[in-house]
Amino acid sequence: MTNNEPQGVSRRAIIRTIGSAPALAAAAATEASPQNAAKPVYRRKVFDDRQWRTVEVLCDLIVPADERSVSASHAGVPEFIDDWLDFRKREDGNDVLASQILGGLSWLDGESNRQFGRDFAAAAPAQQKQLLDRIAWPEKAAAEDHRWVVFFSRFRDLTVSGFFSSKAGIGDLPYLGNKAVSEWKGCDPAVWAVIEKRLTEPRR
Amino acid sequence: MQARTSPKTYDVVIVGSGAGGGVAAHVLALAGAKICMLEAGGWYDAAKQSDMFKWPYNAPHRAAGTREKPFGYYDATLLGGWQVPGEPYTNARGSDFQWYRARMLGGRTNHYGRISLRMGPYDFKPYSRDGKGFDWPIAYDDLAPYYDKAEELIGVFGSAEGLENTPDGRFLPPPAPRGYERVIQRACQHLHIPCVPSRLAILTKPLHGRPACHYCGECGRACAVNANFSSPGVHIAPAMKTGNLEVRTGAMAREVVLGPDGRARGVSYIDKKDRSEQTVYGKVVVLAASCCETARILLNSKSSRAPDGVANSSGLVGRYLMDTVGSSVSGFLPILEDLPPQNEDGVGGMHLYMPWWNYQAQKDGKMPFARGYHIEIGGGRSLPGAGILGGSERILGGGYGVELKRNLRKIYGANVHFSGRGEMIPNEKSYCEIDPNAVDQWGIPVLRFHFEWSQDEILQAKHMQETFQEIVTTAGGKVLSSAGAERNWGISRGGEIIHEVGATRMGDNARTSVLNSYCQAWDCKNLFVTDAAPFISNADKNPTLTITALGWRTSDYIVDQMKKGNL
Repeated sequence: MTNNEPQGVSRRAIIRTIGSAPALAAAAATEASPQNAAKPVYRRKVFDDRQWRTVEVLCDLIVPADERSVSASHAGVPEFIDDWLDFRKREDGNDVLASQILGGLSWLDGESNRQFGRDFAAAAPAQQKQLLDRIAWPEKAAAEDHRWVVFFSRFRDLTVSGFFSSKAGIGDLPYLGNKAVSEWKGCDPAVWAVIEKRLTEPRR
Repeated sequence: MQARTSPKTYDVVIVGSGAGGGVAAHVLALAGAKICMLEAGGWYDAAKQSDMFKWPYNAPHRAAGTREKPFGYYDATLLGGWQVPGEPYTNARGSDFQWYRARMLGGRTNHYGRISLRMGPYDFKPYSRDGKGFDWPIAYDDLAPYYDKAEELIGVFGSAEGLENTPDGRFLPPPAPRGYERVIQRACQHLHIPCVPSRLAILTKPLHGRPACHYCGECGRACAVNANFSSPGVHIAPAMKTGNLEVRTGAMAREVVLGPDGRARGVSYIDKKDRSEQTVYGKVVVLAASCCETARILLNSKSSRAPDGVANSSGLVGRYLMDTVGSSVSGFLPILEDLPPQNEDGVGGMHLYMPWWNYQAQKDGKMPFARGYHIEIGGGRSLPGAGILGGSERILGGGYGVELKRNLRKIYGANVHFSGRGEMIPNEKSYCEIDPNAVDQWGIPVLRFHFEWSQDEILQAKHMQETFQEIVTTAGGKVLSSAGAERNWGISRGGEIIHEVGATRMGDNARTSVLNSYCQAWDCKNLFVTDAAPFISNADKNPTLTITALGWRTSDYIVDQMKKGNL
């Protein structure tokens, strides 16, 4: 019952097969489409103009540009979050998440106005930092800020996952897959050597 | 005007095109039988329709799961899930059973996990071993030759380990483990838990004209080159090549039609295209509609001759429904932080797993529950999609800005995930029946479920939680998500693991079973079942390989009986 092909021949055949598979062709077409040129203008579903300004600023405070990649707003994260909140409303049949985010943004602007006399988006970087430091560290935050800590954790998750699942964000991560590999060799010996060294070190 | 000629009679009518229907069609078509197969969903061709290699950012919501596509936008299941539009089911008060269906050629074999574990000798005789549940009317040795055939046809990788009640098979070489899997294996060595190469129906070498895996890690999207097992690629395509198999898609089976002699004459179905009612006739009828759907068809096949449904003189159709026990823990392993980049995709599933290891302790009465589970593992640098790096404050304590961004890069891929998959013992309180009121959009009465775990299953989930957390801490890690007594140790909802088995049980006595030891209805000798409905127990060994082996054995018996003129 074994009519296996000889292995050497088949590897080329496979790559050829994969290369000619319509699925790959379709995928390649999607990747190659002139995204920037054809990109439609995003129509917001959840955030109003004031909230949008806050979201853009907040996203970039969480994931700013650095030497490896662009900032969250450059990667389309505000659009992703707006779309995600709308999606969850429909999918979950409630607006608990959207309300939490919108309520948190209101608190942020309210608090910024109380302390600095202007909206969060318009506040000075040091003022923004002062507010975020109150809610960005769950263990260190004051008990009365708990709701806003939870809000910020949700917002941070949305920003982070929106960024690192974007094309720019995936390029930033040490992810090398989603492609055909001609021979699977398991864990790279050089990587395993690092792990093994750590295994013998005292607990980190 | 319809022609007044006598209707065409096929040798065999098969309902369903998944693992059970596929194997029956393959064996019977190659043996020369003329077959008509009914599939409730549409046609599916992975070569044209698989979303292999696509990126989540090109899908809506980064390819997140939805009610309509629970396993994400790129999952192979075109129409299906725990809810199918227009095809509801109901639950009795106090039950919360979830019924997954895949309405498409090949059914769930297009997206499933390809885990291919043989049931062992103990698994066929569980009652004899611990006094709970029931024994099968067959033993491991009866099915072993069919496990051989099934593995040789579909292609399963694995390694010979000689472990208790964990039979080795006809394996292709296993893929080398990923880094995080080797770390977990080390921790398991400390804890004396076996951690060995997994057994998946994915080709690591070319087989029967199918190429080997190219390791893109996304088998759930279906494989455009047929390098993993699916019923359309491995069973149905070769069966169609013989010219003996006709497949009718969009054909929603309603009932088995009996002749005046009490034998099955065929199957009536709704043609979804025009909602017309059709009947297809056959000398033999094989039901492989999936465990619960098969029970539904039989229970809906009511006539004066069969007032409680076809093949139901025992009253046991729908009874002893089982699913698999599931519970999960995730953890963070600092040892995996900030490693040099490498591709960790591999095959679409784990390269190592942990088979159940406490058989002797159970035999000695030292365990608080009966039956066992195996552990499935995941983690590492997987394809970044919806939810990637969520909950990072549990690892990093919080934060924002350049430092957060740097830390996120370091912890990406340092997470691990453990899922237990354990045996449920059949009980009287878990069954499906026809709802007295509700119908689906085709006018067919729907199922109503009753489902309850027993203490054996709940205590098993507790053991899973404790074990997985111990593995995480032994590996120097931090448990990120777990469940305690307040949530019944995170035990899955009935049907959530999508391993429904047992609704038309086989046995050696017509009063206590629906089918005989060849999965032939006691009440109707030309009626057979080749999905998971004949199962007597639901060992922790995922059902698909056993469906294909048992279905092959049943199909061989049909061929033999047809040749002898007994059908």
